[in-house]
Amino acid sequence: MRKILQIVRNDLRLFFLSRENLISLLFVPVVMTLVVGIFSGNAASESPEMLVDVIDRDGSPLSAQLLEALREANSSLILCPLDNDTAGRCELDGAGEIGPEQARGRLEERVTEAAIVIPPGFETGVRSFEPVQVTLYTLEDIGVPEAAEQALNAALQRVNGAAAAARTGAALVSQNGLLPDEDSRSAFAKQVYDRASQIWAEEPVTVNFEYAGDPPSGGPDLQSGLGQSVPGMGAMFVMFTVFGGMTALAEERAQWTLQRLATAPLSRAQLLGGKILARFVLGALQFMVVFAVGIAAGIQLGRDPLALVLVAFAYTLSITALSFALGTWIKNEAQAGGFSLLLSLVLAPLGGAWWPLEIVPRAMQIVGHISPVAWAMDAFNALIFNQARLPDVVLPIAVLLGITAVAFAWAIARFRYEG
Amino acid sequence: METMVEIKDLTKTFKRPDGTPIQAVKGISLDIYKGEIFSLLGPNGAGKTTTISMISGLIEPTAGDAKIGGYSIREQPIKAKQLMGVIPQEVALYPQLTARQNLEFFGKMYGLWGKELNRRVDEVLELIGLTDRQKDRVQTYSGGMKRRVNIGVGLLHRPALVYMDEPTVGIDPQSRRRILDTVLQLRDEYGMTVLYTTHLMEEAQELSDRVGIIDHGDIIALGTQGELIQQVGEQDRLILNVGRQPVSAELLKELQDHIEGVTHAMYDPPGSGENSHSDRGLITVTATRGRRALPEILHRIAEAGLEVQSVEVREPDLEAVFLNLTGRALRD
Ligand SMILES: Nc1ncnc2c1ncn2[C@@H]1O[C@H](COP(=O)(O)OP(=O)(O)OP(=O)(O)O)[C@@H](O)[C@H]1O
Ligand SMILES: [Mg+2]
Repeated sequence: MRKILQIVRNDLRLFFLSRENLISLLFVPVVMTLVVGIFSGNAASESPEMLVDVIDRDGSPLSAQLLEALREANSSLILCPLDNDTAGRCELDGAGEIGPEQARGRLEERVTEAAIVIPPGFETGVRSFEPVQVTLYTLEDIGVPEAAEQALNAALQRVNGAAAAARTGAALVSQNGLLPDEDSRSAFAKQVYDRASQIWAEEPVTVNFEYAGDPPSGGPDLQSGLGQSVPGMGAMFVMFTVFGGMTALAEERAQWTLQRLATAPLSRAQLLGGKILARFVLGALQFMVVFAVGIAAGIQLGRDPLALVLVAFAYTLSITALSFALGTWIKNEAQAGGFSLLLSLVLAPLGGAWWPLEIVPRAMQIVGHISPVAWAMDAFNALIFNQARLPDVVLPIAVLLGITAVAFAWAIARFRYEG
Repeated sequence: METMVEIKDLTKTFKRPDGTPIQAVKGISLDIYKGEIFSLLGPNGAGKTTTISMISGLIEPTAGDAKIGGYSIREQPIKAKQLMGVIPQEVALYPQLTARQNLEFFGKMYGLWGKELNRRVDEVLELIGLTDRQKDRVQTYSGGMKRRVNIGVGLLHRPALVYMDEPTVGIDPQSRRRILDTVLQLRDEYGMTVLYTTHLMEEAQELSDRVGIIDHGDIIALGTQGELIQQVGEQDRLILNVGRQPVSAELLKELQDHIEGVTHAMYDPPGSGENSHSDRGLITVTATRGRRALPEILHRIAEAGLEVQSVEVREPDLEAVFLNLTGRALRD
């Protein structure tokens, strides 16, 4: 064991003696993580602003709530005239109100992307479970309003969700015949609705922001950016660092220090164990660096930090094992350098280190899972975004450990000291 | 005499990239005795390094085995390795580290720690004459200094047996002298057993108690220098410099076949093989009692229209043994 630790110590010393290694361990990942985090976080909010006219004929608290939900569903929507500012970003030309004619004109002149009309009696309609129609006007030939439509649907869903909850409650109650007559049933339903809609008003999205404390800019966006970029860039740079072990090993072969070690009274397990452990430590260190950056920038790491550490651990282990398994084919330093770079640059995007796998076609998502990165990202996403806990990420961890076991078995059987 | 290394039927077959096999070592057997300097003498590609790699546990033999102090290198490699210090042909050091750091690290790999390690490192630095440069990175050293550190690493744990694979390749005469003196010192002062490989006849001659001549993966001669030279008999070598004049194959044949006592005649044109001089063409004639054959040889050469510029007569030596056995010069 003592000899193993000395090999680890020596390898780490050699690693840190190289300025180049320090830059690629510390500087580049830090910069990349922040840049990618901010970029992908702002991608949503910086998508071109969309002007949408709103004609609220109801003017009720519920219609206000709907508009609020709309803003939340898509932050690039600018609702006019409500969201107009002194700079006149709604381009109203002084008019305070927007009528149907005006809205149509603005739409046709492509000033706005869409217009939403909330009919009078919207609130009473929803509350009394009458069907109400919120209308979205768009110019059919443009694709953009899809975003507006999606946002509207999302907002309506939540309004309807509250209504549906109320309706369910009422149906339940009426079936059980607890409430004798129509009136009391409807009064009860109204109560349930109020309750549900109250819960809704307080609930989801806002909760997420609440414990984000005082995020630097645009809070939730940076949060989601870092939530992707920290584990993603972490996973990629762990590959760079660990796969660098192939180059280091090829270099040791070329300078004959590996052969010298092979003639020392060491067992294969000691020598290989030391080399592997050293790389694992560097990989773990790399993860820590990237996560430290994330934490400093205010990333929320979910509810189960231990699970996060375990995922990082299993992933780093699998990459280390993979590196030593693939290293058995490597003949020289040039090969090792090229191969490890290529491999990292394939496995990282394939596994969703650069962008969330959700945005790629289904087939690519499946193919992507040949990359250990994909399993790690699945687990990280669940932990960071979906508030998952350890039991929820057992599968990806198990897959990563499985890759580790197979790759190590291969590496140990195939490893040769000489070139 | 006690045996330190017992090599038996050791064989190594490599695969070339195109898949064809190449037999680098062809079932050699030999013993190295305790306390002797044994030289493995052979030209480039003879199989010296491959042999050392097998008996130091670096590569697996295709067949055969070697026992080091009684331990089989295949069955009990760690015990066997503990007994030996290996000084590879390549400079096997971490260039980014200082000499001291290299010595300390490899010392630990041989199980030296703490004060003991420190003492040995100091000792070795003294021995290789690098005490004052010990804190400098190896990459700043001259070739000769690197070679010395390379040797030092192999001696740290005071092994009973040392392998030295061509330790003087590519260095200046002064460093070379130092190294040869160190080798003798290892035997005489520390009682170590040394296996020394070289393609230089002079080195083998100066150092060895016994010599094994290796060629194309075979041991073609084995014994003390006296024994080997006796095999050749009274063969002298006459080296005649004919400058840039062309030498015909007929002349060589005539010298070899028609002069009494001559067993072999060969020609090295200027700048070829061993003969690095660009203005000296050398005719080498091997002859029993060569001095007596000399007048006749000179006469025949003169008859062929060539002018001999100088003549050198060499007593039988290992070079002659190799020439006699293979018909080639050692440095072909
Ligand atoms: N890994 C290898 N793969 C294929 N062939 C090899 C390998 N190592 C050595 N050989 C071949 O085996 C033969 C013996 O090589 P070896 O290095 O043992 O010679 P050597 O006597 O040490 O020569 P030198 O004086 O040049 O060091 C050579 O023909 C060489 O090309
Ligand atoms: Mg060699």
